[in-house]
Amino acid sequence: QDSVERIVEDAAMDLSLNPFSSGTRLRDMIRAIRASKTAAEERAVVRRECAAIRAAISDNDQDYRHRNMAKLMFIHMLGYPTHFGQMECLKLIAASGFPEKRIGYLGLTLLLDERQEVLMLVTNSLKQDLNHSNQFIVGLALCALGNICSAEMARDLAPEVERLLQTRDPNTKKKAALCSIRIVRKVPDLAENFMGSAASLLKEKHHGVLISVVQLCTELCKASREALEYLRKHSVEGLVRILRDVSNSSYAPEYDIAGITDPFLHIRVLRLMRTLGQGDADCSEHVNDILAQVATKTESNKNAGNAILYECVETIMGIEATSGLRVLAINILGRFLSNRDNNIRYVALNMLMKAMAVDTLAVQRHRVTILECVKDADVSIRKRALELVYLLVNDTNVKPLTKELVDYLEVSDDDFKEDLTAKICSIVEKFSQDKLWYLDQMFKVLTLTGNFVKDDVWHALIVLISNAPELQGYSVRSLYKALQASGTQESLVRVAVWCIGEYGEMLVNNISMLDVEEPITVTESDAVDALELALKRYSVDFPGDVTKLSEDTSNCCAE
Amino acid sequence: HPTRSRPPSTDADPRRWHSRLSAILPSLATGCHPVRPRRQIRAATPTRPRSSSRASADLRGRRPSLAMINFVLLISRQGKVRLTKWYSPYTQKERTKVIRELSGLILTRGPKLCNFVEWRGYKVVYRRYASLYFCMCIDADDNELEVLEIIHHFVEILDRYFGSVCELDLIFNFHKAYYVLDEILISGELQESSKKNVARLIAAQDSLVEAAKE
Repeated sequence: QDSVERIVEDAAMDLSLNPFSSGTRLRDMIRAIRASKTAAEERAVVRRECAAIRAAISDNDQDYRHRNMAKLMFIHMLGYPTHFGQMECLKLIAASGFPEKRIGYLGLTLLLDERQEVLMLVTNSLKQDLNHSNQFIVGLALCALGNICSAEMARDLAPEVERLLQTRDPNTKKKAALCSIRIVRKVPDLAENFMGSAASLLKEKHHGVLISVVQLCTELCKASREALEYLRKHSVEGLVRILRDVSNSSYAPEYDIAGITDPFLHIRVLRLMRTLGQGDADCSEHVNDILAQVATKTESNKNAGNAILYECVETIMGIEATSGLRVLAINILGRFLSNRDNNIRYVALNMLMKAMAVDTLAVQRHRVTILECVKDADVSIRKRALELVYLLVNDTNVKPLTKELVDYLEVSDDDFKEDLTAKICSIVEKFSQDKLWYLDQMFKVLTLTGNFVKDDVWHALIVLISNAPELQGYSVRSLYKALQASGTQESLVRVAVWCIGEYGEMLVNNISMLDVEEPITVTESDAVDALELALKRYSVDFPGDVTKLSEDTSNCCAE
Repeated sequence: HPTRSRPPSTDADPRRWHSRLSAILPSLATGCHPVRPRRQIRAATPTRPRSSSRASADLRGRRPSLAMINFVLLISRQGKVRLTKWYSPYTQKERTKVIRELSGLILTRGPKLCNFVEWRGYKVVYRRYASLYFCMCIDADDNELEVLEIIHHFVEILDRYFGSVCELDLIFNFHKAYYVLDEILISGELQESSKKNVARLIAAQDSLVEAAKE
């Protein structure tokens, strides 16, 4: 039925298309593109449309400008080049009507990016529109500027935007605040121009304005030391009040998400508090109580509440918090870690990494759960957990932790093996004072996932063996056994071949055996056979005469 | 075991052996001299709590991002792009590459896994609504749970605007979806937490357009 409809539509479209028509409607073009069964068909439709649009542009066709811009944006979204349409954006923006400006500005932000020189030509229109009497047009200009301006445009138009921060219309004010963020990111020097307005705007009641202004303040702090100090002095009490009011607020349907009033505002304020309180005891003290309130009061059965708690914990750990507050934070972490929701556990692992700097012991307590996460079904969680495990390793727990990881290496997914191998090698290298243990772990890893072991890692192994005469016999025997058991991992083969070549006589004669070893019987020809087999398997990498090598090995053993 | 006297340990022997071995196994020869002191492999330094300055981070060679949300991507189950908005500079070529990579990463994730993927040092928060994946790319130290709420905020507003929004609405009225997005995010930051306000603003602008047609 669907295809019959399409056939009818196509026929109708073909009939309506004639050299003198203005072309298809937007929706017809979209239908034609969707109906294309092959890439070539689609290209044909797009080509036809682009040709019509180009013609309309060069004819300066006013009637279908709006529609053509929409088509261009759709075509652009599919990935086709649309440079020829960029000037049309400018013309639409320069037109006097709201509908033209609306689609023109949208086209600008979609078809261009800040690196294009054409963008500079819009500066004048933008300036005019920022001063327009119609607040919606001002809004369009602010939005476009905020999304796409270059550093030059930022400098040029900053005064207009600054002025608009003082306007009465909250919709304009919030857009001006966000636009200011981009300006300050592009030109950090301008930060000081905005700090006064930003601080005073914190007294606003409109939530849209508040979340934008709080975000602007955060940005100003990052851009300028002076702004940071200024805001520390002038905004902390205001922020505490905002957070307290919204946290204590009764049901407000307009802002309610899962029983919490405006979680976004909560989160933004918490983030600004973190920026202000970082390294500043005074500020941190001021926000202590409200942080405790948010940490204890916020419901954690829905994502919105958890998002707030997450931010709250981050803030507690980022500022000079009291120990009571830190305990609260770690408790929340513990709860998150044992939550069944994957998102929450992922976030908990993130938080724990930050908590390491604050209270290592508390994090160590969760070691077992974290190890479980290394084996989780979700690769995102596995990766986070592995990073965390690496940070948790110390002299006391390194051996059991490594054992767990190596055991898991055997069964883990191939795409995780590489990360896991790298981490184990890192850990083992760091704690390699116990040389025997280091060797054992490396031999195991080489056997399991030697192909993922980086060159400098097994080079270091060889160097260690060379410099540890008491362990050379053990090494060559262990490697020989590993080679016999499974010679599929190239790095293992390389190391083993080197070792056997180097210490062949120790292998054959069971020289310098350690207490833990059982004697093995390996004859010269066994050793040479093993080498030959290995070399044959990897003959493409090992140029040279195998027989020569085996002769040499025999000679070496015989000496 | 057969006893054999250990070979006389002269310096000549190991060197001769080594040079022959090196000739045959050139890859072993590199950086493998036994007399050289053990190379320290620098362990990765543990991550300290990240400073709030996003601008300084250079994540795997990428330029520092300019916004909380670097880009928004809506893709269908078949990997077709329904909406893209870029708040950080990406060339056309880079955009195509990004879309291809992320589609591959996200569309293959099972339904029970968490809503976050790590990609090129960034995080991408995504959620599936019917046949569409809504994705937002953020920095590694941004609040993923909040971005999930932002995505939901966007979806609910779209739903209200189109009246039970479906993928076809977003295809045939994509420009309107962009207008809605522009009332929610500017420069990758949240602009308005009240769904009612967003709806009101869009409606007012739509009326202006209607009025101009007469």
